[in-house]
Amino acid sequence: MDIARYAELFRTEVREHLAGIDESLVLLADGQNDGAVDALFRATHTIKGMAGAMGYASVEQMAHATETLLAAVRDSESPADATLLSLLYEATDALAQHVDDAVDGQAERPVSLALLERLASVADSLDGGRATRTTASWRVPVAELAMMTDVFPSPQAAEVHEPHGAASDTPPEPTAVQRVIAVTLAQDAPLKCVRAQIVIARLEQLGTVQGSDPSVETLTDAFDGVFTVAISSSRTEAELEAAVRSAGDVARVVVRAPELRRAVRDVLRHVRIDLKRLDALLDLVGELVITRDRLLRVADGSGDRQVMVAAQETSRLVSALQDEILQARMVPVGQVFDRFPRLVRDVARDLGKEIAFTMEGRDITLDRSMLDAIGDPIVHLLRNAIDHGLETAEERQAAGKPPAGRLILRAVRDRAAIVIAVEDDGRGIDRDQVLVRAIAQGRVERNITSLSDDDLVKLLAQPGFSTAKAVTSVSGRGVGIDVVASRVRALGGALDIETMPGRGTMFSLRLPVTLAIVRALLVQVGERIYAVPSAHVLEALEFDSVERLTLRGREAVSMRDDVLPLVRLRQVFGEAAHDDAGTQLIVVDAGGKRVACKVDALLGQQDIVVKPFDAVRGATAHFSGATILGDGSPALIVDVGSLA
Amino acid sequence: MSRTVLICDDAIFMRTMVGDILQQAGFEIVGEAETGLQAVEKYRQLQPDLVTMDIVMPDMGGIDAVREITKAHPSARILMCSAMGQQALVVEAIQAGAKDFVVKPFQPSRVLEAVQRVLAA
Repeated sequence: MDIARYAELFRTEVREHLAGIDESLVLLADGQNDGAVDALFRATHTIKGMAGAMGYASVEQMAHATETLLAAVRDSESPADATLLSLLYEATDALAQHVDDAVDGQAERPVSLALLERLASVADSLDGGRATRTTASWRVPVAELAMMTDVFPSPQAAEVHEPHGAASDTPPEPTAVQRVIAVTLAQDAPLKCVRAQIVIARLEQLGTVQGSDPSVETLTDAFDGVFTVAISSSRTEAELEAAVRSAGDVARVVVRAPELRRAVRDVLRHVRIDLKRLDALLDLVGELVITRDRLLRVADGSGDRQVMVAAQETSRLVSALQDEILQARMVPVGQVFDRFPRLVRDVARDLGKEIAFTMEGRDITLDRSMLDAIGDPIVHLLRNAIDHGLETAEERQAAGKPPAGRLILRAVRDRAAIVIAVEDDGRGIDRDQVLVRAIAQGRVERNITSLSDDDLVKLLAQPGFSTAKAVTSVSGRGVGIDVVASRVRALGGALDIETMPGRGTMFSLRLPVTLAIVRALLVQVGERIYAVPSAHVLEALEFDSVERLTLRGREAVSMRDDVLPLVRLRQVFGEAAHDDAGTQLIVVDAGGKRVACKVDALLGQQDIVVKPFDAVRGATAHFSGATILGDGSPALIVDVGSLA
Repeated sequence: MSRTVLICDDAIFMRTMVGDILQQAGFEIVGEAETGLQAVEKYRQLQPDLVTMDIVMPDMGGIDAVREITKAHPSARILMCSAMGQQALVVEAIQAGAKDFVVKPFQPSRVLEAVQRVLAA
């Protein structure tokens, strides 16, 4: 077997487990002992099995020592103290280091014997020589089992199939056969996760249940009743099926032998793809979308019915393909969120703050590239909240709040958008101080006496303003909010702030579900064509049909009792200075604020592929990206939020 | 001979309702318990074929009662009666040894299906 081919796969998967370990360690620090220790054990156990299959001795050794300690912790049932925690952190870090070394093909650095000894001695002190570890039964998710058989078909991997340590107590019957059972519960079954438990309880009477996917421990109300169970049993398939059905509310049962590769595939239902492939696929489909539009135009112009029908059919298929590829790129936000508990814990410790951190909506999915891009902004907001938003325990108690500051990271789906919010119950932003500062810097008119949430966002999002010392030390917010705002806008999203003095602050990032392909209205402004994302366009009308007026020295239009600021795009975009050609007006939603934009002409709507934008700073102020139009010419994508 | 049932619920209404459903299906209600402690005690005296068990009861909750009963009588056939939103508790009850569950409000057909499964297990 060509081991090297699996190295990256190994690293990716181990990283997922390491992220899970970080999360569990935070739970453990919180005193949530049970589930956390189990999860830690399973993760290290899996890493050990995989490292064994790869022949990475140092990884295997470190994982084994950590696993032994974890088993002792679980059996001793004693709460994890600070010494134990820091030892576990040390071991995890070492593990991660060994993994990187091994995969990168560097000379494996020897495992630190001192660390191994400390792990072993703490383990011994906990359970007096770990004589008691034989009855543990650990469950490995069936997807992992399937991965193992599929990817690491080596004898070492077989170890993972055994419930840990159970072999000596209940040796599997000699004729026991490995099987995977796919179960679908009746649609109307109440408490599906309980029913799944009963199914597994029935199966346990017939053999050794090695795991389920999803694992029963993680089932929630959202569980859809579809799961698979891996079992080693000497019973026939019919007997197993009957046992499952006897649990009640079972709609469908399929018993399979996992040795068959096809069966494994069906059960696994997942395959790992290099991200670069997925990006290339998306790029190609983007080009296809552009070509499709050109084809449709040519076909329409040809007047040939057969060509038109074929073009339309092609167009439909391209749209379907585009949808599929976009779906394939969606990943749960949990993949990024999972590293935050440790970050929050570390930052809080460094700053001497007590933080109760929770995350919600980890299953919400976002486009992979979007997810990569929002990691940093979220880190920024979390740090900000801990550093400036949340008070120290003493300050909080003096203000009558619980000593631990509440910090929530939440993802929710809101129609076509995903909203990611960072919410704290800290001191809030002091608007008056922000206003004083803004007036002093000449950023707002002197006669303004209060700031709305919108004004606040705009001020904090202005480069340079936020870093002003007085603001950060007094109001506690602002460092780098401009960076967050511009990053979010570049993704086609918007940043909102809600804040209440003494009660807390919530930053929300509103993001489109995907960033790669958007529907846009093409407009002519001067010599060029610009793309305005359709999601921001509220209406289009004749320029002459609206009443124009001047308000506080600024141009505005009056529409149905509403007065909207008027923006002449020719001027804003630096197109031809004289501005008499324009006949059209589009009303856009610029981050919750309506703005009327004057353009020369409307050219129609079309799907555009957003290309990364790489231009000098300043030139990008009003543009979030670029695209290639159907005729091959480039067009800039307007950053509508910047027009307010 | 008809199968015997012990009904455990702190609400008379619920006991009556469950009792009616089971009686109409030919079961014999041999006892009722209003608390977990009573349930354990009456199970010991009556050794019924089937127990229906509410989750939240005074003295001792249904889950602890399941634990106590199955400790002494591993083959006890216990059906949990749960309200909506008690998912986690039902899971615990199943782990404690209950054989199945029904969710309030009770539909007679669902109750009887569950009872058949419990008796067949």
